[in-house]
Amino acid sequence: MLLQLNNIFKWVHSGGQRVFLLKDINLEVREGEFISIMGPSGSGKSTLLNVIGMLDTFDEGEYQFLDEPVHSLKEKYRANLYKEYIGFVFQSYHLLDELTVKENLEMPLLYKKLRGTERKAMVADMLDRFNIVGKKDLFPAQLSGGQQQLVGVARALISNPKLILADEPTGNLNSKQGEEIMELFKELNDEGVTIIQVTHSEKNAEYGSRIINLLDGRMI
Amino acid sequence: MFKNNIKIAWRSLKKQPFFTFLNTFGLAIGIAGGILIALFIYDELSYDKMFADAERIYRVDSNIKFGGAEMKSAEAAAPMAATMQRDFPQVESTVRFRNRGSLLLRRTGTETNTKEPRITFVDSTFFDFFGVKLLVGDKKTALVEPNTLVLTKTAAEKHFGVQNALGQSMLLNNTDTYTVTGVIDDLPRNSFLREHSVFMAMSGYADSHDPNWGSNNYFTFIKLIPSANVKDFQEPLNGIVDDYIFPWAQQYFPGMTKESFIAAGNYVNFYTQPLTDIHLYSHRDAEMSANSSIQNVYILAFIGLFLIVLASVNFMNLSTAQSLKRAKEVGVRKTLGSKKLDLIRQFLIESGLISFISLLVALVITLLVLPLFNDLAGKSISLPYSSPFFWGILLLGTVLLGLFSGSYPAFFLSRFMPVKTLKGDTQGTAGGGNIRNALVVFQFAISVFLIVGTIVVYQQLQFIQSKDLGFTKDQILLVDDVFAVGDQTQSFKDEIVALSQVENSTLSFYFPTPSSRSNSSFFPEGSRNQEDALQMQTWYVDEDYIPTMNMDLIAGRNFNTDFPTDSTAVIVNEATLKVLGVGPEEALGMRVSQDVELENPEFNTIIGVVKNFHYESLRENIGSLGLFFGGTSGSLAVKLNPGDFSTTIADIEGIWNKFAPGQPFSYDFMDDSFNTTYEAEQRLGKIFVVFTILSILIACLGLFGLAAFNAQKRTKEIGVRKVLGATVGQITFRLTTDFLKMVGVAILISMPIGWFAMNKWLEDFSYRIEIGWWVFVLAAILAVGVAILTVGYQSIRAAVVNPVKSLRTE
Repeated sequence: MLLQLNNIFKWVHSGGQRVFLLKDINLEVREGEFISIMGPSGSGKSTLLNVIGMLDTFDEGEYQFLDEPVHSLKEKYRANLYKEYIGFVFQSYHLLDELTVKENLEMPLLYKKLRGTERKAMVADMLDRFNIVGKKDLFPAQLSGGQQQLVGVARALISNPKLILADEPTGNLNSKQGEEIMELFKELNDEGVTIIQVTHSEKNAEYGSRIINLLDGRMI
Repeated sequence: MFKNNIKIAWRSLKKQPFFTFLNTFGLAIGIAGGILIALFIYDELSYDKMFADAERIYRVDSNIKFGGAEMKSAEAAAPMAATMQRDFPQVESTVRFRNRGSLLLRRTGTETNTKEPRITFVDSTFFDFFGVKLLVGDKKTALVEPNTLVLTKTAAEKHFGVQNALGQSMLLNNTDTYTVTGVIDDLPRNSFLREHSVFMAMSGYADSHDPNWGSNNYFTFIKLIPSANVKDFQEPLNGIVDDYIFPWAQQYFPGMTKESFIAAGNYVNFYTQPLTDIHLYSHRDAEMSANSSIQNVYILAFIGLFLIVLASVNFMNLSTAQSLKRAKEVGVRKTLGSKKLDLIRQFLIESGLISFISLLVALVITLLVLPLFNDLAGKSISLPYSSPFFWGILLLGTVLLGLFSGSYPAFFLSRFMPVKTLKGDTQGTAGGGNIRNALVVFQFAISVFLIVGTIVVYQQLQFIQSKDLGFTKDQILLVDDVFAVGDQTQSFKDEIVALSQVENSTLSFYFPTPSSRSNSSFFPEGSRNQEDALQMQTWYVDEDYIPTMNMDLIAGRNFNTDFPTDSTAVIVNEATLKVLGVGPEEALGMRVSQDVELENPEFNTIIGVVKNFHYESLRENIGSLGLFFGGTSGSLAVKLNPGDFSTTIADIEGIWNKFAPGQPFSYDFMDDSFNTTYEAEQRLGKIFVVFTILSILIACLGLFGLAAFNAQKRTKEIGVRKVLGATVGQITFRLTTDFLKMVGVAILISMPIGWFAMNKWLEDFSYRIEIGWWVFVLAAILAVGVAILTVGYQSIRAAVVNPVKSLRTE
């Protein structure tokens, strides 16, 4: 069992009333799964993904990640947990504009206190694996959207996470670029990486092994 | 439309109270500082301009080198005024002052004296010359007769009031009787006569009729006819040397010619000093009242200008820093059809509104701190409420400041492309970073410079306080006006020395703190050559002077009452030996004479050599000085043992009252009186501190705003880094170091400038400190420390934000 959500509730107060963002979410994810979260805008997809990624908190319920009780962990320990095991891929890539491809890839490693030679080897590995060695000294603005997302995925993978969380990874891409990214996810999944993605597209959802539908914060 | 603009401007200011506060506060401080400095400078420039025909009035100054001494005198010889009046058709009228210092004054028939700090003889032309009006009395006759005097209103009110003043009889120093012939209003605070309260008729002062060209003791003012040009005047003025001074001098130095005089390196030059420039430009040996310096005015004008520029720069920084928040608004407005010009106008109106609010705040601040500032600057300035000129300048200045400060943000903001800003793409809006960074560097460079300046000024002051002066100024009480005791001074002194807490005491007019000075020419035995002349301070002291002042005798002995010949003895300082060209032991027994007659002159024998002591400010080198035996009156310097002085002072006052009943008892501590010599520096030091703090405050406001802006701009980056594992500490460090780099650049820029400028300032002192490297290290540490505190808060705030918020795309 990679992670387990039990009776997760999340709400905000608006106009004196509780507005539920997540309502009684129960979810088990095993290692090696490829899950797609679907639902209309505002249904809580991204919120759920952020809760799973430990970037966001919840108000009620229990969350076990690799048998650690996330709900009762201290902030710092939680941060260490996701740093170690989770990689993030974003719709708008979120590469740092003033860093080159190589430097963008290296950044997560800097925060893991790895030695310079080790970092270089890992970056070179990743550049090689994604076939972007020739682009290592370019800045994000010099790449196409698909290429940028490729770097985004590479960055998420570089610290060997058990789980990749992708929030509409193809949302800003054309269909061909989108397909390539999804193919890549498929390959990674085959290699054993667990993936949870949020998507609007039925077609992309099909790549996954399981689909979760959300409406108004509730699983249906 | 305009009303709408104002309304929207007001709302957008209200919407962002924090930025509005920073903007207003920063600008208000800058404006308040500017107003204060402007008032100060206006006051400094206003000196002596209130006198009638002030622009036609000049003082006759002279530079004289004779007998090894150089004098830059503000005074001229007694016959100078009459000679100029007679010989030069350009001269309309003249007036002379002969200062008598402070004297005691009482109404005949009463017992109690008042002490008047500045008393002077003056020619009867005084009233017409300066346009001074008499409250009572007739200006045609007031100061014509000998032994008549005119009082200021304040001085008159101490004794009999203005209306009863005419014809009153008064006693000066308990001896001379004078008749009051007029009362004038108190003299303006910003005039060279501000401290003068009693004017006595010159006609009663015999020396003023003497055709003596050799001593310069008269402040001589001339008024030119309107058509005269002062430049045409220089040559005939120096002609006086040939026409009058040499013929006079040859009576005493037979065989002296102009050629031999010049060949010996001597000179006499006359200058005309415009009255209205005296306060700021004249720094001569004895001025009628303490002058200021144009250098201080420049320094302050510089600081004031910088304060306003700093505040304006802040405004630009803060306004553009808000651009991210305003970008969307610009986008919406533009899509709704607003033209670039409309937006520029909107933003300018906003900055105008802020300037105006700041002006109001600044006026309140000015009113609140004006008393403190007056104290600091030694002035009594008030806001000129009734002057339309003042308000006009203020409003115009505010409008200009608003336009200037608002222009950059206005053009910057109005340039935004609506398509981009509406999509939330803020890349284009973050431009102008280099300008903003340069502005912050500029602000900090000024702050660091001011910090360096402050430290150096204070260090120099410290150095002055602690320098070995060659005498001990601490624990010495100076009891003034001992002549009030009459012929009982010796018993008076004896009773005081008998007090248990009194170590020693000495009686003299001459002290190494501001007091009387007297300068005479001496010749070594057997010579009357001008080359050998010795121009020397001639101080009359008693046998207790050297021990009381704790001066060091490096050869010979002190005066001794047991040696009758000591009445003609002299103890010289080391500087005199240099002029004489002998060593300390050789000098003993040498004889010098003041007499110009070669036949049977009266000699003074050198019996001792005293170590050099600083008798003038440390700005001056130590000149020749001789101590002569015969101090009989003046001030009594009382050396006290450490402890509680108040009881001793009370005891001394008791003795005073016994010997001089009814006379005012006045005393100073010598170290206080010493400190007054450096009042200008102390003032400069304090002003430096205040404006340094202000400029740092403003710079910090700017940095604070910029840090906030930067944190906003980098929200996305911070979010990404956090998601990828950066800790709060790492992010804070990253954001802070970026700013510290700018502060570092500022430090590098300001150091050479600070070093150069402060060395220039120190050059005014003959005895001065070296600027140590640690001054710069300290300034750098201060600047960096302040910057860290300012930026740190914003950085931490930005670093703890949950990345989910910053990375949300919808």
